[in-house]
Amino acid sequence: MPSSNPLPPKENALFKRILRCYEHKQYKNGIKFAKQILSNPKFSEHGETLAMKGLTLNCLGRKEEAYDHVRRGLRNDLQSHVCWHVYGLLQRSDKKYDEAIKCYRNALKWDKDNIQILRDLSLLQIQMRDLEGYKDTRYQLFMLRPTQRASWIGFAISYHLLKDYETALKILDTFRNSPMICYDYEHSELLLYQNMVIQESGECEQALKHLDKYSDQICDKVTVKETYGKLRLQLKQYAEAVQVYKELLNINPENTTYYARLAEAERHTKPEETLAMLQRYEDLFPRALAPRRLQLNYAIGDEFKILVDRYLRRGLHKGVPPLFVNLRSLYNDQQKVDTIQSLVLEYKEALKAHGHFSDQEKDNPREPASALLWTYYYLAQHYDHLGLTEKALNEIDAAIEHTPTLIELFVTKGRIYKHAGNVQEAYKWLDEAQGLDTADRYINSKCAKYMLRANLIKEAEETCGKFTREGVLAMENLNEMQCMWIQTEAANAYKRLGKYGEALKKCHEVDRVDFNNIYLQHFSEIIEDQFDFHTYCMRKMTLRSYVGLLRLEDVLRAHPFYFKAAKCAVEVYLRLHDEPLPDPTQAQEIDTDHLPLSVGSHVLFEKDTFTF
Amino acid sequence: MSINIRCATTDDLLNIQHCNLQCLPENYQMKYYLYHALSWPQLSYVAEDEKGRIVGYVLAKMEEDCEDNPHGHITSLAVKRSHRRLGIAQKLMNQASRAMVECFGAKYVSLHVRRSNRAALNLYTSSLQFEVSEVEPKYYADGEDAYAMKRDLSSFYLEKNATKEKTNKDGNTHIHTGRCCDRS
Repeated sequence: MPSSNPLPPKENALFKRILRCYEHKQYKNGIKFAKQILSNPKFSEHGETLAMKGLTLNCLGRKEEAYDHVRRGLRNDLQSHVCWHVYGLLQRSDKKYDEAIKCYRNALKWDKDNIQILRDLSLLQIQMRDLEGYKDTRYQLFMLRPTQRASWIGFAISYHLLKDYETALKILDTFRNSPMICYDYEHSELLLYQNMVIQESGECEQALKHLDKYSDQICDKVTVKETYGKLRLQLKQYAEAVQVYKELLNINPENTTYYARLAEAERHTKPEETLAMLQRYEDLFPRALAPRRLQLNYAIGDEFKILVDRYLRRGLHKGVPPLFVNLRSLYNDQQKVDTIQSLVLEYKEALKAHGHFSDQEKDNPREPASALLWTYYYLAQHYDHLGLTEKALNEIDAAIEHTPTLIELFVTKGRIYKHAGNVQEAYKWLDEAQGLDTADRYINSKCAKYMLRANLIKEAEETCGKFTREGVLAMENLNEMQCMWIQTEAANAYKRLGKYGEALKKCHEVDRVDFNNIYLQHFSEIIEDQFDFHTYCMRKMTLRSYVGLLRLEDVLRAHPFYFKAAKCAVEVYLRLHDEPLPDPTQAQEIDTDHLPLSVGSHVLFEKDTFTF
Repeated sequence: MSINIRCATTDDLLNIQHCNLQCLPENYQMKYYLYHALSWPQLSYVAEDEKGRIVGYVLAKMEEDCEDNPHGHITSLAVKRSHRRLGIAQKLMNQASRAMVECFGAKYVSLHVRRSNRAALNLYTSSLQFEVSEVEPKYYADGEDAYAMKRDLSSFYLEKNATKEKTNKDGNTHIHTGRCCDRS
């Protein structure tokens, strides 16, 4: 293997042991063998040995020495694929992917069929979305190792990603007929992936035929049926589509999309038809929530009144805390709001007077005492949603008087104050709630959020600390767990307090472009996370999900978490641009630590002192 | 719209992580969620509200060490406090369990629960037929014990076979229960 400067047998054997040690992570031994070769004056400048010693040093965290050795090794043996490959691996470990790709390419100049280098190159190409380059490399790997599964899969995916569906499908077809695959689940996933490629090529009928032919061999029946449903609808085969969605609803009657598709397949033209369909499903699945709740979207007028009356009574009787949040989406219809309001007010009066939902029921057994409580609770949220703060507070106070220990009531009271813009009062009520159930993290998180809205950053950290690992700072632990909401809320709090340095620090914990390419925060980290899955998914054959991952990562920063953090950072930067901090000494005072901001029209990080 | 219960996709993972961080003390980095979604894409389910916000999820996997006795494991289950008492957790669990049987031939599903978490214990034993199989002392980072629980999934099996007989009349295929065949 060593090219321009071959070692004699004894040293060569030692060199091979260095390689083995590297593969088995026995780095100290590796260094020992490297030293044995290099201590011989004849080989003290042996390029590949120096390079391997450098690579091993890198694994021991001795980065500077690593670069010194690898560079020296490369200078001494510029025609060695090993030296170039090692230099590429070193750059890769520092996330300098473009540089690493260049090194691998140089390595391949001296050993064009080296499988390991081609594999490493292909990984970087897909990570960097160099799809053309990826295809070429996968082609070479395929030609060199046609008996390996990954060769076929990678080859097919590379064409799929370039939207050359025909070639991708040809490869998959040939591969499927080879004896390389037989485990049920893998075969099943491969078939589903192939069907996905056919669908993306726009050939609905082909996809349907493919499914007809292979559905028996696919174990993921839900996906088979969902795909059938989608294709039947696209091909306007409505009767068949109806059948499919009925089967899907039998499996999962809580999937609201299935009901919508079934309505589409049954070609409803009027809301009454959908309503009738949902009523049939309510009878069929009396325990299912979706068909009962969905009816309220389609019913109007008196019919709506009858249905919502029944729905409300059931919830208030049983004591379902999310009753309001469950109905909230009906509130964009003023008529429905009016109907609900008059019903619930009627319940309140009747329950107060004689313990029934209406005067007509006086002779029936009384409702449980809690029914009135839940009615107050509903009305409080109802008025709050409509912006009627006074009324909302009256109702929530009545509820608290009725039952002074229910946490939900304190949370709602806090929320009413928050909506009214009183962040101080809001957080106090959440703090109260949190004190009543210290074992519930949801309440704890809400409390911390409200504290941050009230700019109480230290208090929020302390509150969060009740649920973070002991012995670690709360914020450190939350940061490690990629908890983005708290960082964004904290950033906004710092911004409001005029602590711009601290605000930016928090924003950049969510994501930052790193000058040294070493320290990666949440979003960059999640983009890095892909790396291992490029090989993993080819083994697992979960290719639909893998392609889903690639597509997600391509638009990852479209997520609201990113948007919120970025918005905060942009606002701070603009503010600092428009009103630069007066002078460096003062800047240091205002901006307490860590973030030296240059003064003037441009605000920049100084990379060497930028440490978190 | 009402609450929608559906299989989770990779697009849901950031929101599942958010829901987990809000509700539970046991948290995970994104890579662990990715590992679930890319290894067993059928097993995790979410409940979303009308705005597509995740209000509950179940993150599930298969245990990989036992090929002759395949079984699933619930890594994490949470429903936001604001959406409790709608039966969401139970429905999520049943969907995940059905998928474990359907796609991986799971015989049973296991999970861990804090000894002090009475609400969860109650859900598992009375609504979901879980049984305590052992106590694992100091299982949690804060020193609390865990109950290891199991639920037999044979009732889902009957369901699966009933549909299989219908669709697979000429079924002369070799039924693989695990990695029975040699793989390159």
